[in-house]
Amino acid sequence: MLTHFSCILKVVRQMDIAEVLKHTSPALFLPELKATDKEGAMAEMVEGLIAGTDIQNSETILQMLQNREELGSTAVGPGVAFPHGRTLSVMRLTILIAKSAAGVDFDSEDGKPTHLFFVLIAPPHDSGHQYIKSLAALIDKVQDEGLREQLMAAEDYDAFCEAMKEA
Amino acid sequence: MNPQLQMLVILQNMDEMIREVETHGEELQSLGFKHEGIDKLRADREELQDKIDPRFLSLYNRLKTKHDQAVVPVRKNLCTGCFANIPSIFVSKVNANRVQKCESCGRILYWP
Repeated sequence: MLTHFSCILKVVRQMDIAEVLKHTSPALFLPELKATDKEGAMAEMVEGLIAGTDIQNSETILQMLQNREELGSTAVGPGVAFPHGRTLSVMRLTILIAKSAAGVDFDSEDGKPTHLFFVLIAPPHDSGHQYIKSLAALIDKVQDEGLREQLMAAEDYDAFCEAMKEA
Repeated sequence: MNPQLQMLVILQNMDEMIREVETHGEELQSLGFKHEGIDKLRADREELQDKIDPRFLSLYNRLKTKHDQAVVPVRKNLCTGCFANIPSIFVSKVNANRVQKCESCGRILYWP
């Protein structure tokens, strides 16, 4: 799996992780999700997006993310999911980070619970397809098991970002 | 939000998702994302389409033949499709719950 990603990401990845993290903020960091089911976790993360930004219409974003999950689960990393999509509701790429110590049943391919979430919401047209490049950079990073452990142990947003940048 | 407008926004999001699978599907699949539910998404889109008032759906389809986006957000009183100024009357209480078009380009307006 790692070899597969390494080969592909050499082509796709073009964004530095520090650049990617500019699209998130402390207000978009949920250190502990309460829900342990997919529906509840998605709703909680959309609530987090609404609380952490000037986005007002939660229903269209939730519907968009649910439609994306119907295409196929975005839990493609080991214990990590990347719910994503495009909507008119945002002007620029916006990334929410969420963690769950208990884990969420997010229909992952390996059937294991998902503990770490990166939610990427992009406008219909973003210059240079930033969001696909950001997805690639994040997926590449979380292949490192040691980093995933550090991220789960990170107590706040700053510690989380520091671990991401140092890895 | 007007329920018809809400459905038009969701319809456009679905169209965007289908377009992305068609144009960037290979790239996304190389990252591990699968799109085996594309037929279900297309079926859901058809189902949603059937719930939209035919007048608005016809307008949406006409606009989609001319523009990438039939529904566009209003930012700072500007239509982000053509950057024409949107008169403040458009956001009055009387009009707030209507499906409204930009007087300049005809796109459907959405206040995010």
